[in-house]
Amino acid sequence: MRKRKIGIPRALLYYYYFPFWLRLFDELNLESVISDNTSRELLDKGVKKSLSEICVPIKVMIGHVLNLDQKNVDYIFLPRFHSIRKDVVFCPKIIGLPDMVKHSLPGLEAEIIADQIDSKSDDIAQFANHQQLAETFSIPKKEMKKALREASSFWQRYRNLLYQGYLINDFSRLDDLEGLEKLISKFENEKQLPQSQRKDIVTPENEEVVDIAVIGYVYNFSDQYLNMDILNKLKEMGVRVHTFSMVAVEIIEKELAKPRKPMFWEFTNKLYGAAEHYFKNDQIDGVIHLTAFGCGPDSILGQILDVDAKEYDKAFMTLRIDEQTGESHIITRIEAFIDLLRLKKENK
Amino acid sequence: MRLSFPYMGPTIVYKKLLELLGHDVVMPPRPNKEIIDLGVKYSPEFACFPFKVITGIYLKLMEKGVDTLITSGGHGPCRAGYYGEVHKKILQDLGYDVEIIVIDSPHDDYKYFYEVVKRLKGNSSWLQVARVIKTVYQLTKALDQIEKKIEILRAYNDQGTINKLWIKAQEEFHQIQTTAEIKEIKNKYLNKLAEFEDSIPAADERYRIGIIGEIYVVLEQSINNQIEEKVNRFGFEVERSQYLTDWIRENIFPFTGKDLEKIKEKGEEFIEVGIGGHAQSNMGHAIDFKEKGFNGIIHLKPFGCLPELVSQSVADDLSEKYEIPVLSITIDEQTADANVLTRVEAFLDMIKEKDYREVL
Repeated sequence: MRKRKIGIPRALLYYYYFPFWLRLFDELNLESVISDNTSRELLDKGVKKSLSEICVPIKVMIGHVLNLDQKNVDYIFLPRFHSIRKDVVFCPKIIGLPDMVKHSLPGLEAEIIADQIDSKSDDIAQFANHQQLAETFSIPKKEMKKALREASSFWQRYRNLLYQGYLINDFSRLDDLEGLEKLISKFENEKQLPQSQRKDIVTPENEEVVDIAVIGYVYNFSDQYLNMDILNKLKEMGVRVHTFSMVAVEIIEKELAKPRKPMFWEFTNKLYGAAEHYFKNDQIDGVIHLTAFGCGPDSILGQILDVDAKEYDKAFMTLRIDEQTGESHIITRIEAFIDLLRLKKENK
Repeated sequence: MRLSFPYMGPTIVYKKLLELLGHDVVMPPRPNKEIIDLGVKYSPEFACFPFKVITGIYLKLMEKGVDTLITSGGHGPCRAGYYGEVHKKILQDLGYDVEIIVIDSPHDDYKYFYEVVKRLKGNSSWLQVARVIKTVYQLTKALDQIEKKIEILRAYNDQGTINKLWIKAQEEFHQIQTTAEIKEIKNKYLNKLAEFEDSIPAADERYRIGIIGEIYVVLEQSINNQIEEKVNRFGFEVERSQYLTDWIRENIFPFTGKDLEKIKEKGEEFIEVGIGGHAQSNMGHAIDFKEKGFNGIIHLKPFGCLPELVSQSVADDLSEKYEIPVLSITIDEQTADANVLTRVEAFLDMIKEKDYREVL
């Protein structure tokens, strides 16, 4: 019998969880198909099929779902992320994503698998979070649990490397499990530090190296098409790039305990904690808030960061990306920002 | 403590509540162009429209020497649950020394909730508090009952005459102290409105429109371009998915909301789990309106509203399955009156035309 194909859209939380899913489907002997990298064509299709005022990441997601459907997959894996921490939820659009896909793309041929994810931590490997998946492929509970354990420990290795200072982009171009496994092992045994931690960085014109924290969601700072490859551009200009995924859980928790009422969105809280940490950190020269058009939680977070950056006297810039952002404007703005940081450093 | 609160729907209710508890209350200004501009200027660009309007109201209130603001909280996923905290930051950043009391559920922070209740209670006894709440609830119910009549009668009578009655009724309710007075005023106006009952045509000649959407733009006439009056003008009756009574029942007397639960369940067909705001209930209300024989649905939402964007995404499918036309209108600081009027007119024309063809 032909292996049944299950499609994973390369969008939203894919960047955070893809090693988990790749390993899981491999263990379950399912053929996983990942949608293509975001491209003009893919994005245009997504834009066409979604509401004009919805945020770009959702439009990207719709584009990837349509892309998978063209690849003749039997199923599309679209878990409904509800909560991965007590009393903290996801953005309404992420929770309602399976509903939007089911009811606004009537021509979709693949079946949607939309298990609801409710977990107490970032580790989502509980059986309850994968019941529909198990039922769809008639996988015995025991086998499913074993596969989830394997997938979880594989994902932990990936997550640990991110904590150590690797970027998601160091991995995310790979979509075969074998290559990914090799890469993870290679990094684990690597003597050289990841770029964000390295001291010996050479800039094109021997200018001073600056440290910038890019505060943004995984799907914004890791989608190299959508963000015009901003992280690599920064690196080329002699910047050590830091992201929230490098900040230890304990530090984020400590920052979140401070306000009387923290926000109630999972990754927004993570960004808040990381940003506060970077504001206080003398090693960081500037903070860029990378946000997407129409992001609701970011409209709140951005306002808070704006006020707090002033308090800590940290250079702060907001970069908003959308489906028609021109590349030159991004370059001009980050160049100006870096120049300013260098000037500030020299004057110290 | 000089208190005030955001403007939403029939504001007398909140004013009465605080006044009867013995506080010094300043009535918030009704949103207008000036307030909206002020709010837009000092709010994050992508904040939702109600947030901006409330920023404007708060800033206007600062001129009146208000030192304490009361607002509702929440625990997401809708952004409204975090308004209070962000407004605090914005007002502080502008140099205003003002306290914002956020009424959150006791489940989140029991101690804080208790403090808030104690302060709002003031010197009144618990018995008095219970009585005040009862009075205010009666007042809300009376207001809603009259408004529902108005929304029907305005379709068949001179708008000015009916509106005048409605304004007068609200003015009289401002003066009440006891439940007996509420009853008296209510009956007086219901009797006055009963004189117009004859204008309502036979059941099969009535056209009815249900209005669903985000609570603030549905309830607040001054920012939704008086959409109900617009619909009425073309001889269509209106009913909303939300009245203040529902909001109070949901938030203060949760056990009375059985029928609201049922409506929510109907919405599960399109939005399977709660995603914040009233998105799921709104889908339920749309189905409910159809079952009650309504001819169309107008779906209102502020620009960029998170939960309502999901409901708008699924609304086309609902419209097709249940054969009921749905018009989505996005409201923000740039919404022009003529634009709303044109779209409403075209929508209502389409409904009449469709009906006419079916009869033929």
